[in-house]
Amino acid sequence: MKLRSRAAFAAMLTTGALVLTGCGASGGAATGDNTAGPTGGTLSIGSLVDVTSFDPAASHVGHYMQYYQPVYDTLIMREPNGDLSPMLATDWEYDETETELTLNLRDDVTFTDGEKFDAEAVKANIDHFKVANGPQASTAASIEAVRVVDEDTAVIELSQPDPAILLYMAASAGFMASPAALDTEGIIGTPVGSGPYILDTDSTIAGATYTYAKNPDYWNPDLQKFDEIVIKPMQDVTARVNALVSGQVNAALLDAKTAPQGTGAGLNEITNPVDWQGLFLFDRGGVQAKPLGDVRVRQAINYAIDRQSLLDSLLLGNGEITSQVTGTSSAGYVKKLDERYDFDPKKAKSLLAAAGYPDGFDLTLPVNSADTIINAAIVQQLADVGINATQVVIPSTDYRNEIFTGKYSIGYYGIFQGDPWVAVNHHIGPNAAFNPLKYTDEKSAALIEKIQAGDDDAAKEFTEYITEEAWFAPFYRVNQLYFFDKTVTVENQLQQAVPSIYNYAPTK
Amino acid sequence: MLIFLLRRLVAGILLLFVISTITYVLLYFSSDGIAQNILGEFATPEQIALKQAELGLDQPLPVRYVEWLGGAITGDFGRSWFNSEPVVTALFNRLPVTLTIVLGALVIAAVLAALLGVAAAIKRGWIDRAVQLLSLAGDALPSFVVAIVLVTSLAIQAKIFPATGFVPFSDNPALWLMSIALPITALVFQLVAQAAQQFRSAIIDVRRRDFVRTLRSRGLPEREVVFKHVLRSAAPAALTILSLQFVGLLGGSVIIEQIFALPGVGPLAVLSTTQGDIPVVMGVVVYTVIMVILVNLVVDLVNGWLNPKVRVS
Amino acid sequence: MSEAIVQNPQVPAVVARSGVVKRLAKNPLAILALLLLAGTVVASFLAPVLATHDPNFGDLQAVLAGPSAEHILGTDSLGRDVFSRLLFASQVTLAAAALAAVVAIAIGVPAGLLAGYHGGWFDGSANWVTNMLMSLPGIIVLLAVRAATGPSVWISMLVFGVLLAPSFYRLTRTAVKSVRNELYVDAARVSGLSDTRIMSRHIFSVVRAPIIIQTANVAGVAIAIQSGLEFLGLGDPLVPTWGVMLSDAFRNVYLTPLLLVWPALAIAITTVCLAILGNALRDSLEDGQKVPRVRKPRLEASAPAPSAVTTDTATNAVSDHLLVVDGLRIGYPQAGGTMKTVVDGVSLHVDRGEVLGIVGESGSGKSQTAFAILGLLPDTAEILGGGITIGSTRTVTPGSRQVSQARIAALRGKGIAYIPQEPMSNLDPAFTIGYQLVRPMVKVLGISKAEARRRALDLLVTVGIVNPQRTFDAYPHEISGGMAQRVLIAGAVSCEPDLLIADEPTTALDVTVQAEVLDLLRDLQKRLGMGMIIVTHNFGVVSDICDRVVVMKDGTLAEGGDVRTILRAPQHDYTRQLLASTLEGKLPMSMLTTGTKA
Repeated sequence: MKLRSRAAFAAMLTTGALVLTGCGASGGAATGDNTAGPTGGTLSIGSLVDVTSFDPAASHVGHYMQYYQPVYDTLIMREPNGDLSPMLATDWEYDETETELTLNLRDDVTFTDGEKFDAEAVKANIDHFKVANGPQASTAASIEAVRVVDEDTAVIELSQPDPAILLYMAASAGFMASPAALDTEGIIGTPVGSGPYILDTDSTIAGATYTYAKNPDYWNPDLQKFDEIVIKPMQDVTARVNALVSGQVNAALLDAKTAPQGTGAGLNEITNPVDWQGLFLFDRGGVQAKPLGDVRVRQAINYAIDRQSLLDSLLLGNGEITSQVTGTSSAGYVKKLDERYDFDPKKAKSLLAAAGYPDGFDLTLPVNSADTIINAAIVQQLADVGINATQVVIPSTDYRNEIFTGKYSIGYYGIFQGDPWVAVNHHIGPNAAFNPLKYTDEKSAALIEKIQAGDDDAAKEFTEYITEEAWFAPFYRVNQLYFFDKTVTVENQLQQAVPSIYNYAPTK
Repeated sequence: MLIFLLRRLVAGILLLFVISTITYVLLYFSSDGIAQNILGEFATPEQIALKQAELGLDQPLPVRYVEWLGGAITGDFGRSWFNSEPVVTALFNRLPVTLTIVLGALVIAAVLAALLGVAAAIKRGWIDRAVQLLSLAGDALPSFVVAIVLVTSLAIQAKIFPATGFVPFSDNPALWLMSIALPITALVFQLVAQAAQQFRSAIIDVRRRDFVRTLRSRGLPEREVVFKHVLRSAAPAALTILSLQFVGLLGGSVIIEQIFALPGVGPLAVLSTTQGDIPVVMGVVVYTVIMVILVNLVVDLVNGWLNPKVRVS
Repeated sequence: MSEAIVQNPQVPAVVARSGVVKRLAKNPLAILALLLLAGTVVASFLAPVLATHDPNFGDLQAVLAGPSAEHILGTDSLGRDVFSRLLFASQVTLAAAALAAVVAIAIGVPAGLLAGYHGGWFDGSANWVTNMLMSLPGIIVLLAVRAATGPSVWISMLVFGVLLAPSFYRLTRTAVKSVRNELYVDAARVSGLSDTRIMSRHIFSVVRAPIIIQTANVAGVAIAIQSGLEFLGLGDPLVPTWGVMLSDAFRNVYLTPLLLVWPALAIAITTVCLAILGNALRDSLEDGQKVPRVRKPRLEASAPAPSAVTTDTATNAVSDHLLVVDGLRIGYPQAGGTMKTVVDGVSLHVDRGEVLGIVGESGSGKSQTAFAILGLLPDTAEILGGGITIGSTRTVTPGSRQVSQARIAALRGKGIAYIPQEPMSNLDPAFTIGYQLVRPMVKVLGISKAEARRRALDLLVTVGIVNPQRTFDAYPHEISGGMAQRVLIAGAVSCEPDLLIADEPTTALDVTVQAEVLDLLRDLQKRLGMGMIIVTHNFGVVSDICDRVVVMKDGTLAEGGDVRTILRAPQHDYTRQLLASTLEGKLPMSMLTTGTKA
């Protein structure tokens, strides 16, 4: 994978004309042939994304986790059901103010380059994470500093209580790389961690195949279920279907339309409701689009959407309709709110009339170029109650940016359903990126403070409040459809798009 | 000979320079939201500003261009803004796949076109009309439409071929062949059309030539006269056409590689242009122009070699 | 060098032509293409009327439905009616293609006119720009443009039009350049017409046709490229186009593959029809005539046309003559269905060891006769009657329309050989002299390459080539005309044929070389005991080397017999005229012709 640029350039010129070759560099084992038995063999995974850099500070959650977990351990491990358990940190404890988190660390872990894992390493990693400007950098926003107490003890000093910090220590912010490698350029292509596997750079081609070989010196052999893991980026769902069906990979994520191919081929399927999808009503304050400031108008929008038909026709029923943005695993989940708004265009029209818009009103709808179908349906259903939405198509790579600028009053999106505090930071709170117009009011602010202190009842109250106030118009929770063949067993990972690497095992 | 090569080289470099300049200027205007795209949804304005400085996006256009040019001349095209992979490495890794498809299609098309051209030119009658018709259809039909038809019928429905994916030759030669069969067929279809027509016309022309009649009068079997002598003289015309078509072939292969999910230069081109990953886009453009120049040069050399007047001198 | 009267035996002198439109109308495929295209254009205009549904309305209860009474072609992934979308999509697709074509013409044609007419620096720089544009793959450029300007069909097609302009530029420039030097343009200039007047009048009418043809092709390419980009998902997704429909269908290919058919068909039919139309237009404008193979009933053996003199041939009996030609008639079918007869009842014979001369002017049919004997007539020729027997092999029987290739092929090289007229054009320029000598010997005589090589070198010595090895290794362009003719002679006799036919063997040579070659021929003939036919218009050659001579005029035999007899006492008027027309021994400053031709 590593080629000196200039030599490669010269070689490219010559091979460009003269080489007819079918020999791409060998991509390692192309077929996932797992030998029978509880451990061993090769696990081949088809991934939706491609890793951009092996610097742990550049890591992202969701699909990207699978690339980092083989080579980096996290401070805390998140179990498939969401519970936290020890990993590089053996135990942890808050002080009374909940602004100092003490971590006791393992003393028997060495990185693959010989460096020792200790509190200094933790400090180096978190310091690096904060300044490296990665996509998850804001998860360390409340970390002020890391204090090294002794070799096996580190204290994370927070600027304010952060109920989610433990979760973040089990995700991107918690990946630990060798301090010696952290500030080098080499870490982009070659990870140096303490994880169960090591990246086999000889058998790795960026963008095509990543091969991880078993780490012989790993401190927890129980986690090493395979001899080798191969991850192939396959952005196109058709490619994943074919790879799965033909046996090129053992496991991959499909979608509603291609799932029948997976079941038809006799593959196993597990479903995981990770995201909710629906309309964000950014301008709840009616600053740009005055009608949206009236709760009746927002509720009307909720009543105007035929959730079940959309789910059936576009997702072939793979999901669950809902009126709340909170997921079933969250402490803020209120079951009855799933059915708060049913499909009732007449009610929508009467609400609009009551709010002073008997003939409806106009609205601008930004449209992600990858989601034209659903948006066309939204436009149609809104038109049925008198709301005239004009579509503005935005290239999918720019869509999120455009939304963040705050120039649009509503927009369709899919967001993962996290724990209450995570969700607040991500898309509900006054500083969340997905709240570009920074809407807030007294009641929600007060509830948010309580959520930060870990008050579960406040979380439920908060869900009820924002659902009743129709801050959003959620459509449904979408099931992630994960398929795998008979040679492996896989468990879902809570609130994660794809299973963690630790959740795969060869079939007995 | 040397002077000829030198002149072509200079012309090629000039071409490269002009095209890369135009492309760079064009792309400059699209690079606004890149930093946010790269960093993702949690990025703060400070982080964005930092990223922009890192990528050099805060510099004025001429400075950025000169920097890029300086690197490019020495063979350093920088790194992708999205995954930090060196551009040259990315291209180099993907080149074998694209070349396999493109050159494979060219070679097969040349052979098929020669055979069809001979059949049409000599047998005339219904074969001639059939070849002409097929050529018309093949020439007009976009290769990606052919590809879609092939994929749907032979791969998805009949499950004879894999619908997507590329198996390297070193892994499994048989599977490698299966994985490139459909993509190459789609490309060949369009190539053969025009080339067969050219061969046909050229063969009809050459057959009328005096020396062909004289060779036949000497008792040489008809097949030898056609395949050794007529084809040989008819080849330059067809080769020229093939080289002209190469340009279109590079474009067509982009879509074909997307359809078949082949890890070639095509998907890299599409992704980088949709993302606005300027270093990679520039790399792709430069690579494309180099390929075109090289192929034209090779065809000219081959044509020259075929013509003894040029070869001997 | 004497005037080479080169008679091209391939194409008859007069070709019948019919009108362009009539020709187009006769092409059923073109008619079909035109109808389909017109239908598509009309349908796109009438889309609001013909559509059964709103193209953007999605019925969520009927997603991905198959064809039904309600939806003729089914629905897409949002439940939108495919038929209606197809109609409205055609508007955008066709309009965009038109845009590309218009832009290409608007840039390319004026530039080509300017460059072709005035040349100079504009021509040079425009050429360079053209080369640059033509070496850019359209898709890559459009991708880059899209990265800069965002998705828009109209911008894409505008840029693509610029990329397509070179083809119009080149075509216009070529046409203009070729016409510019025509006499009548200069004449017009002299008579005081302004430049623009000249250009618009004369040149434009010539350029019109190729531009129309190119437009048809360009439109097809524009549709293909545009659909390709949309298929990649790079178009404007709110606007229904065929490419967008294709992309949506492909994403649902596992659920409803049928959805692919409709947009694919639309694209395919339109592009193919445009190509067919372009091709048909080109065919109907070209000079080359496609002569229809008229199915005629088999001809009975027809009687030879009456000639002034009967030659001594036994018509059907097997004789010991080496060659017997018996009432041979050859013709070329014309476009209108008529037949142009070039040889009309020729009979002659040649014996072993004797030299027959066939004399006549251009168009007399002498070379045609020779080629018929060799079986080397062009494909378009037809034997209308008579027969040819070589040795005991009947190569042409009465009633057969062609020379029997199977039979004549066995004879060529060993039984019968040919020395052509123009030496340089009768050697394959891509192979060495040696190869062209050795190979036929190996194939025909079955000897080894080494043996053939030895014989070839010997032959080269025999025909008087001073440095045989050098000639053996040389390419045709490296030797002189005289040497080439000797090589051809060497090749002809290399397999020791029984009958040798020389077609004007000395006409293309210098006078001094002529004599040498004749000596050589006479020498070889005596040595190998061959029968020889010399086709010539030159009585000097006849008197030098021939034993007998026949005189041909307009496809028939005027006279024939022993050389001395014919030369001294010609019976036929035409023979007398020919003899009198030679320059040798003529009184200076006296009239050559004897009045009007007989």
